[in-house]
Amino acid sequence: MALTSARLLTRTVHEKWICAHSLTLRPLVCINKAAFYGEYRRPGQAQDRTPPWKKIRFSFAKGVQGIRKHFGLLKDEAMERWVGPQGRPLIEHMLEQTRVQWEFRGPESLEQWLVSTDREIGGRSEAYLKLGRNDSACMLYGTLCSTPPRDGETCYSGYCTLRSRQLLSSFDRKKNIDWSSFNTLYIRLRGDGRPWMINIAAETYFSHQKDDLYNYFLYTRGGPYWQDVKIPFSKFFLSSRGRIQDNQHPLWLDKVSTIGFTLGDKADGPFQLEIDFIAVCNDRAHTEEFAYEMYKRNPEV
Amino acid sequence: WFLAWMGLEINTMAIIPLMAQQHHPRATEATTKYFLTQATAAAMILFASTMNAWTMGDWNINQISHPLATTTVTLALALKIGLAPMHFWLPEVLQGLNLTTGLVLSTWQKLAPFALILQISQNTNPALLTTLGVTSALVGGWGGLNQTQLRKLLAYSSIAHLGWMIIILQFMPALTLLNLTIYITMTSTMFLSLKIMASTKINSLALAWPKTPTLTTLIMLSLLSLGGLPPLTGFMPKWLILQELAKQDLPITATIMAMSALLSLFFYLR
Repeated sequence: MALTSARLLTRTVHEKWICAHSLTLRPLVCINKAAFYGEYRRPGQAQDRTPPWKKIRFSFAKGVQGIRKHFGLLKDEAMERWVGPQGRPLIEHMLEQTRVQWEFRGPESLEQWLVSTDREIGGRSEAYLKLGRNDSACMLYGTLCSTPPRDGETCYSGYCTLRSRQLLSSFDRKKNIDWSSFNTLYIRLRGDGRPWMINIAAETYFSHQKDDLYNYFLYTRGGPYWQDVKIPFSKFFLSSRGRIQDNQHPLWLDKVSTIGFTLGDKADGPFQLEIDFIAVCNDRAHTEEFAYEMYKRNPEV
Repeated sequence: WFLAWMGLEINTMAIIPLMAQQHHPRATEATTKYFLTQATAAAMILFASTMNAWTMGDWNINQISHPLATTTVTLALALKIGLAPMHFWLPEVLQGLNLTTGLVLSTWQKLAPFALILQISQNTNPALLTTLGVTSALVGGWGGLNQTQLRKLLAYSSIAHLGWMIIILQFMPALTLLNLTIYITMTSTMFLSLKIMASTKINSLALAWPKTPTLTTLIMLSLLSLGGLPPLTGFMPKWLILQELAKQDLPITATIMAMSALLSLFFYLR
């Protein structure tokens, strides 16, 4: 009798333990990716637990098209190796002092850019991208609204950004831009007097660097005249997730991924920005390597 | 083998702080990649030597005789020095370092693995060595084409030279040692010259001749020597290796090696 009641007690305690921990015991197979990669979800939005194999939409025609496209790109890469770096003769690489990286001369040039606003976090800003008059520039226009979404979580809102797409080579491998022959960013644009921020993203390795950006300010003049902006790369400072880092270092130009323009000046109302081209140049008179201090804080004495 | 493994690990650990002293994310990335590859290779060496000791009962370096152990240790040492197809880490690591540390990585860090390679040379698989050598020479030539960053260019040059060293190892290890010595001399010259000029891109080399004409001439001669052009010193090991390959009735291998040297010479001359 005593033994039976002891077994009952143990079983009851064991069952209680299982019930108490059932919420925390997770199956070992499904890993919570959101915890690893910092995935953002809107408040109240359920986590997407669909297994990857259920997301596949198989299409034979698309597969054949993809194979043809990627092998074509691979063949082009192999052929352009015989021409020179990035498919251009070496003499061109050695002698060039300016290079227009992006220019807006047709609808296909807009495909290389992504526009996003705070709508993704529940805000009410709007932004659109279109070609300007005579297909000679792009126009980014819209309305900023800094009213934060009422979701109990977001405190700030009111931004829009225009960012170039990551260049891809064959088989969707990342392709980086080599700007090591240049030292200045040259942009021809026409703004409305608002202050923008230029963000350059370089290739990173560690996961904690995935939000690293190199920023600098872009003050636009309003008015009918085009503005030529020259910003040396030595002026760009490092920030991560929007916060300026204490440990600063210069931007290495041999693996640049994307460039972006962000507006977040807390001024509600319409905005517009026209960009003619984005280029890089080599200013021989500019010899500064890095504009900010790189000293060690709190040195040991 | 155990002491050799310890020496390799200490060697890796010693250079890690030197590589990371620049405090730039790219330097940290290069250091991490270097550490991971070297640690993997050292672990493979330990595994192979332990396997050989378990099966054959011998810990001596030059008594490694189990075929699987020999192959594993050869591949591990190939990963250590950056032979193709285990070469992918070398250009990225060199690119993230400054020229001084790159010099140490390209020269001094090759000595320890080569000491082991020379000791096991009699027991290695000839087909594996030939494959590694030919692949490295071809990859070094192909990869160096269109490189505009000097450190990556020297990395591919290193891979090609290592291919030449490895291919003759099975026939005449003395030639491997000679090639290694001459390669270290030439590479040191290149790195030190580039350090004096503070240039890491070929554009800056193009503008160097009015500023330092003597140094520019020296760099040009070093590059031609690296390419194996007579009558410079770099021609000697290549000539002797081709001669030995021909003596060993391997004309096709010798031809492929000579063609790959032409690829390397093409980007040196540019």
